[in-house]
Amino acid sequence: MDKITSRKAVYDQLEAIRSADILVGIPSYNNARTIGHVVNAVQAGLAKYFPDQKTVLIDSDGGSTDGTMEIVKSAIIENYQSILIQHRNAPVFKMAVPYHGIPGKGSAFRTIFEIAEALDVKACAVVDSDLRSITPEWIELLIKPVLDEGFDYVAPLYRRHKYDGTITNSIIYPLTRALYGKRVRQPIGGDFGFSGRLAKFYLSKDVWQTDVARYGIDIWMTTEAIANNFRIAQSFLGAKIHDPKDPGSDLSSMLYEVVGSTFRLMENYHAVWKAVRDSAPVQTFGFQYDVGLEQINVDVGRMLRLFREGARGLREVWVDVIGRGDFSEIEALGAHPDEGFRFPLSLWTRVVYDYALAYHKKKLPAEHLLKSLTPLYLGKTASFIMEARDMSQSEAEAEIEKLCREFEENKDRLVNNWR
Amino acid sequence: MSDFFTLTLGPLREVYSKFVKFVPNLLAMLVILLVGILLARLLRLILLKLLQAIKFDSWSDRMGLTSVMRKGDLWARPSAAVGAFVFWLLILAVLMAAFSALNIQAVDRLIEHFVLYLPRVLSAALILVFGYIVTGFIGRAVLISAVNKGYHFAKLLAEAVRILLILLFIAMALEQLEVAPGIVVAAFSIIFGGIVLALAISFGVGGIDAAKKIIEQETEKQEKGKESQEDIHHI
Amino acid sequence: MSDFYQSGIITTLHTLGNPSLERLETELREHAKVRPIALVLPALYTEFEGNAMPRIVEELAKVKYLQQVVLVLGRASDREFSRAREFMKPVPGEVKIIHNEGKRVREIYETIRRNGLDPGPDGKGRSAWLAYGYVLAAGKADIIALHDCDIVSYSREMLARLCYPVANPNLDFVFCKGFYSRVTNKMHGRVTRLLVTPLVRALETLLRDGSPFLAFLDSFRYPLAGEFCMTTDMARTNRIPSDWGLEVGSLAEVHRNFSPRRVCQVDIAATYEHKHQTLSAGDPEKGLMKMAVDICKSVFRTLASEGAVFSEGFFQSLEVAYLRLAEDTIMKHEADAAINGLLFDRHEEAMAVEAFMKAMDLAARAFMEDPLGTPLIPNWNRVTSAIPGILEMLKKAVDEDNK
Repeated sequence: MDKITSRKAVYDQLEAIRSADILVGIPSYNNARTIGHVVNAVQAGLAKYFPDQKTVLIDSDGGSTDGTMEIVKSAIIENYQSILIQHRNAPVFKMAVPYHGIPGKGSAFRTIFEIAEALDVKACAVVDSDLRSITPEWIELLIKPVLDEGFDYVAPLYRRHKYDGTITNSIIYPLTRALYGKRVRQPIGGDFGFSGRLAKFYLSKDVWQTDVARYGIDIWMTTEAIANNFRIAQSFLGAKIHDPKDPGSDLSSMLYEVVGSTFRLMENYHAVWKAVRDSAPVQTFGFQYDVGLEQINVDVGRMLRLFREGARGLREVWVDVIGRGDFSEIEALGAHPDEGFRFPLSLWTRVVYDYALAYHKKKLPAEHLLKSLTPLYLGKTASFIMEARDMSQSEAEAEIEKLCREFEENKDRLVNNWR
Repeated sequence: MSDFFTLTLGPLREVYSKFVKFVPNLLAMLVILLVGILLARLLRLILLKLLQAIKFDSWSDRMGLTSVMRKGDLWARPSAAVGAFVFWLLILAVLMAAFSALNIQAVDRLIEHFVLYLPRVLSAALILVFGYIVTGFIGRAVLISAVNKGYHFAKLLAEAVRILLILLFIAMALEQLEVAPGIVVAAFSIIFGGIVLALAISFGVGGIDAAKKIIEQETEKQEKGKESQEDIHHI
Repeated sequence: MSDFYQSGIITTLHTLGNPSLERLETELREHAKVRPIALVLPALYTEFEGNAMPRIVEELAKVKYLQQVVLVLGRASDREFSRAREFMKPVPGEVKIIHNEGKRVREIYETIRRNGLDPGPDGKGRSAWLAYGYVLAAGKADIIALHDCDIVSYSREMLARLCYPVANPNLDFVFCKGFYSRVTNKMHGRVTRLLVTPLVRALETLLRDGSPFLAFLDSFRYPLAGEFCMTTDMARTNRIPSDWGLEVGSLAEVHRNFSPRRVCQVDIAATYEHKHQTLSAGDPEKGLMKMAVDICKSVFRTLASEGAVFSEGFFQSLEVAYLRLAEDTIMKHEADAAINGLLFDRHEEAMAVEAFMKAMDLAARAFMEDPLGTPLIPNWNRVTSAIPGILEMLKKAVDEDNK
């Protein structure tokens, strides 16, 4: 792929700007409903908290057809340093529909990194374009730790409903934490701050033609930053509310993409994670406060029904992946009535590790493997929702902490069987 | 009297002269058999060594080939099994060569037919192996996506797809083998069409209500699913 | 018949009062519905001709809470295998006999070996390991109990007491080891009394930073007892030594993988009688001597893996410390024998200590030459990851043999 910065129009704009201190990138794709708000919040944040710095705003669009670009143009204050890029080869990006956000998010990020390098910026931030709850403070919280404290990577920390973000809570967070030993609570948050140095490092990685560029970019950025010993922090941003996601993206493809990316990264960094024991907290910025969250309705019965269908139908696949012993536990769970259904933490830990191992050993085609995780994940999620029904926010968080410790304590299973 | 002798000895002499003519052929056959068997043994030995060198046994343990053998209660080493298979194939070839050395026309024709038939056997075998892999892949894909959609008959559906595909591949292989080609195609069409028809009838006539219920349940489930799914963010 | 004193870092379950076997078995039947129990019996064919086996079968015939019994038959021909099957007929429920020398099982070993894993030489360790594999493959049991087949004084109460702590879900134990006194008209169990205990204590005094494993090992009243019960999960992850270091090495694995809070020992018998090993001081490859060497090696290697550093000098001071402690121990036992009116051959005991010193020396030398050399059989997780279908193959092999 050509460098975006060598494109004539972009090149001219870069020449005119020459250099900048701070860059904020917004990858977008058909976000006409929300992007105006996001752009306004970013501009306000930059003006309010970094009045003396030279700042640039970039909208990297994946080929929107709903007038996103027009809204961005009208939302941008006159004379503001900004670059709008519409990817010309948009149809290519559309082929891989990502789990959320935009198609070709990875390529959009690459563009942002390239411009960051060309302008030699000190700090960057990227925020999702479908956010409803973004405030100007977010920009400060994502940029300040990089600019003032010398951190390279700032992950977000949100207050979310206890039922929300279950893939993060029951797979991605415990797994990355146990693997790499850093307690980054939202490794796939979507809003990040990072240093110019890290942007250059990301660019030097030759992954842009792979799946990472298509959808695994969030976990890729987090993992690369941790595994290569960059300085990591997280910032408390408050509530995260985003636009309802594309109804076309179903849960099993989501698992395939997100968990698959995490597993794929395990291949590259085996040497790093095999030696890690325990985990350490990372420095956290921002004042943590409670936020009122909307009530969430969940159909636990439906989840359990799908789990039981899985236990009936996917027997051969699961036995192959998690082994007979654990499968008999799953089978016993399947026979359990809804009332008091509990997915043991230790069993779930083994399931995730065994899936990682099966992925590593290529026991099944990756897509089959990861999609067959769906019913198990739903069983685990249903169990968590029922357990957490009467729990406060912090009690639910303590439950997740327990799961994380289970992952850490049983990491041997992964390390010893990884061959 | 001498007439009698010539009458009796004549045929005998004839048999004798034929036999004398035939002896070299017989000898040739024996030699071919002997050398062939020795050669086959030697080849088997070389093959075994070769398979050992490339760690064929360990490979088939990991690939599940051994598992398949054990399921059929065959407890030989995989390499030994391959060795035995090749050995008996060679013995077959040797036998054919030996019989053709006898120079009997009927046998010759038989062998000719057999040799000409071999490539077809090979391609039929290839079709079956390929079919086995493809069937497994598609069957699993159907199963997983059906289960994830929550269809109660996911396993049945996947099994049906698998059986149809297997039938298809077996029919293709039989066609290759030219085993009564017309009948195979006809039989396949009948079975395949029959299954589809049976499904159609069972849904259409036998179980309108049941089918309706299933469909309603599924759509209801899906509608309900959409509502609730919008509420919870998995990421 | 004992006190209720708790010592060491693990839990000790005593025989207090007159516990009712009936109550124990009724409870076990209930618990076994939730956590089914498999009994693993490593046996040699010769043991079927001895006087212990008939009694064991007779007792097992009355046990109703077992999900399956898996007997691994070593050193038997095909005919002896069928005879053993006949012999086990009275035992109710599912009984599987693994024909260790049969062509199918031999092929299983061969399969494992050709994939670069070593199931080790024939022995109790390998037999137990194979039986675990079968229990895992069958997937019917959550708990595995194991005892030898040469116990002359066997009673089903032993089995019940052994299973109970792990089977009872309210107690949350994952591993339970039996203990008992080995007394007839004299004290037996020389290796435990005169080797393991003094050796462990000598090591404790010499290793300045202390060792969690030694404290763990010293908590066991009879570390060499062959009777124990564990969760099948443990059978999947623990590695088993294939030599005489079996008991000590297994405890090391338990210690490595589980918290001592979830480990207990239970008094299983007032009297215990089995075959005795002869002391063959001359030959390090035989009998008690080989056992002593293997045990010492296992202890050294475990400590080394914990981070202890051994040198020539260390072993010299160890021998001195051991000798002093062993001599003290002999005196203690002599007094104990005297008050109970037991025979006590002081000379024989001293000879044993001398032999054990030699064993320790051999073990130390072997250790210095090859500190890593480990006779551990890989765990089943490891084997199944190398050969995905191996458990299915094993199940098929055993089931076919038992048809």
